Amino acid sequence: MLDKPASALRIRERLIESERLMEETGCYDGITELQLRNQDPLKFETLHTKLRAYCVSAREMARRISASPGVREVGEMVVAIYTPEGDAIALSNGIMVHVHTMSRFIKWMIRNGYEENPCIRDGDIFANNDAFIGTVQVPDVMDVVPIFHSGTLVGWAGAVCHELEAGGITPGGDVALAQERFTEGLFVCAEKIGENDEIRRDYVIRCERNLRMPIYWVLDEKAKVASCIDMRESVKALIDEIGLDYWMQVSKEFIEEGRRAQLARTRQLTVPGIYRGHTFYGHVTAGKPGYQPLGDPDWLYNMPIEMEITTDGKIIMDFEGTQPWGYHSMNCTPAGMDGGMFVTLTQHMNFEGLVNDGAWMATELKLPHGTWTNPDNEMVATATSWALLLPAYGVFQRLLSRAFIGRGFVEEAFVGQVNSPMIEMGGTSQYGKLFGMAHFECAAAGSGALAIKDGLDTAYVGWNPESDMGNIEIWEQNMPMVYIGRSIVPNSGGAGKYRGGCSFVSTWLVSKTDHLRLVTSEHSSRVFDNGGMCGGYPAPTCQKHRAVRNSNIFELAEKRAPLAHHTGTNPHRSELELRLQGEHVTMEGPYITAPHKAGDVFTHSYNGGGGYGDVLERDPVKTAADVENGYLTKEAAEGIFGIMLDEDEAGYPVANIEATKRHRAEMRAKRLAKARPVSEWIATERGRVETADFAPEVKKMYASAIKLSSRFTREFSDFWNVDAKSIFMPGAKP
Amino acid sequence: MTSYSKEVISDLVAGTLPWPQTRRVMSAYKDDDRFFKYVAVLQDRVGWKDPILLPVSDHLFICQSGDERVTRCECGHSFGDYRKNWKLKASIIVRNTEEALREIYPNSDIPDPQWMELREFICPRCGTMHEVEAAAPGYPIVHDFQPDLEGFYREWLGKPL
Repeated sequence: MLDKPASALRIRERLIESERLMEETGCYDGITELQLRNQDPLKFETLHTKLRAYCVSAREMARRISASPGVREVGEMVVAIYTPEGDAIALSNGIMVHVHTMSRFIKWMIRNGYEENPCIRDGDIFANNDAFIGTVQVPDVMDVVPIFHSGTLVGWAGAVCHELEAGGITPGGDVALAQERFTEGLFVCAEKIGENDEIRRDYVIRCERNLRMPIYWVLDEKAKVASCIDMRESVKALIDEIGLDYWMQVSKEFIEEGRRAQLARTRQLTVPGIYRGHTFYGHVTAGKPGYQPLGDPDWLYNMPIEMEITTDGKIIMDFEGTQPWGYHSMNCTPAGMDGGMFVTLTQHMNFEGLVNDGAWMATELKLPHGTWTNPDNEMVATATSWALLLPAYGVFQRLLSRAFIGRGFVEEAFVGQVNSPMIEMGGTSQYGKLFGMAHFECAAAGSGALAIKDGLDTAYVGWNPESDMGNIEIWEQNMPMVYIGRSIVPNSGGAGKYRGGCSFVSTWLVSKTDHLRLVTSEHSSRVFDNGGMCGGYPAPTCQKHRAVRNSNIFELAEKRAPLAHHTGTNPHRSELELRLQGEHVTMEGPYITAPHKAGDVFTHSYNGGGGYGDVLERDPVKTAADVENGYLTKEAAEGIFGIMLDEDEAGYPVANIEATKRHRAEMRAKRLAKARPVSEWIATERGRVETADFAPEVKKMYASAIKLSSRFTREFSDFWNVDAKSIFMPGAKP
Repeated sequence: MTSYSKEVISDLVAGTLPWPQTRRVMSAYKDDDRFFKYVAVLQDRVGWKDPILLPVSDHLFICQSGDERVTRCECGHSFGDYRKNWKLKASIIVRNTEEALREIYPNSDIPDPQWMELREFICPRCGTMHEVEAAAPGYPIVHDFQPDLEGFYREWLGKPL
């Protein structure tokens, strides 16, 4: 028999009432006046700072319990405190994308009658990693505990860790090969996993028997529960101090103030109007082992985004015209899309004031049903939803930045995030044990440029604002590969007046194993999935994988001969091919192959960020320093930027200002001679559009967008003055 | 209330404000009088008299030109009515061959020109590159920004347009 809840409070009715009040008044929970804030603003602010401190301190404590290098090294964790209805009041630093997804999880339990069964009681622990309930992807496992005070539910404490192993069809957490839910791994669907502050033994056994590397998941559970209990006890002590009535009121006011602050911030930093942008993602798997014949092996997705900023400061993002969900792991749920919005706002607009769910309430997402942003089938896989989320929210960052530039806040304008290709692995570890893990050095891509300076080199990803690649030694402890190189990739930032941040490439020697499965995900094939701004170019993103099987590296090492430490700067012949003998592999798209063994060499590149402004305006002196430090090659400085470099007596590059001026004048003249009026280009290109003279994947992309969106169809037809439907969907009803 | 001199804003916009100072500007409360100082800095930079109403890119501005509001390049070239997409009046270079893409991406793997092209939008008078679009072949040119100019001035800036 189930124990009944300690409280007679009907939280479900309270949630409905709260939503009704918001609908009716436009203010969170019907709070039209910030009474407590007005009464004593200092107390109000101090209390929120305390809550934030509880969160930050609980997260730091939890990171020291975790065994996972993802959580310990890279900080793949966030914690937050919620109202009884599940709205975030305060949060820690870390992967803030999950603050609102956790909110959805709590609300889902409340809406689904959890008060009656399985009951919500003091000491209970609930967990979830189902993205259709409220997370982004299967490795993002969240735990929440209710906070009771004097028998009343007064809030929730929640924590999320990104797990390095999820027990899916391919090892690691971002299960690249998942094509349906059933291959994504271990699901915990809003489940009560513990009582009386203790995780149930049977739940731990399930984890231990269904994961390749249960130590990460299980210790992360303990870390999360510890952080939740820590926050819960801190909140209860605070309520003892300020009184229950004050808490119930002030926690709501915090959120309403967060909402108002977001609207005010939008009015302060931006310009109202309609902003548009797009990006693409290409995927190539034809002929690769393991893919089921459900979806297209190769496909191209378009991601158009229209953002409206209304005069009351609301931001509305509309994804109409994008592609349908597919049998691949890159779909996203509305929870994930919310998460993307939340983490972007917290980084780019809410850098002061109360950061909480109020900011999210000042925005609106329009996610067309049936697309990858809002699948109409809950069996689809979402394990690598970041593959599409990152490019999409990179567009959002550029749209916001256009607004910052209009308003004059150029120091906030940012060309945006890029995808962070992930490498995951499993098999037999260097200790002879079964293992599986994701490698999180991808948390250090190059960032897009700013409107006043170059982007960050190897130091930024959108999903964790505290981006950190982790220490090589820690990664080496956890995988049967040793680094033989980690290098900046020259010219990997998008070119521009301010270049995008550069990426890096890692080169590993597979060591002490005869079975290592390597799988990569979240990098685009055949297209750019990022962009430049104001004349800057996108960064290159569609990098191939290079490996050498059965290499002669041990012989070379014995002879003290030079080894390959990176792929080099010749795209047609890599350093691996130049220096190593063996079976050379160059693979486009996800790297899914037969297992590797000791002596094989593998490389993996990450992405740089997009550039800002016209390349011909780049500072020659800064460029000389870039060449000296390996961020740009001398050839690129001259060929792309028009910057002529000499060498000083010590052989270091020095800008030749006069020669640069002359060369740039020639380049500008050539540019003008080569360019033709857009109207002329449209007239010529129209013929190609009329005959649909495109690659099959491009035609399929148009047909899919046209099928799902009348607006896309209309805009396409109007632009080219054609009937898009008859071109791409011949035989369809007009 | 935070406020900076026009000189500081000028250096900030030019990217020449020393980093420690820039960092402080980024971390501080935002200056509510930024917009008109910013416009004044840009107005000094351009060689023409039409009042700038709203910057829309690094060298593109919506300005009042007689009775019309147009999108104008810093060199003075007009792209016409600001409500229409200025790109349609620009010049274009399309990089849709391996050779043309290789010029910009000398040492990385490059997109498949059958899947993606680069479109460079250029001022036909001065040759400034105002915008680069990365798009699938056949994708309509995007209209980046349609500001609500009236609403912005009237409701947010509290000044007549």
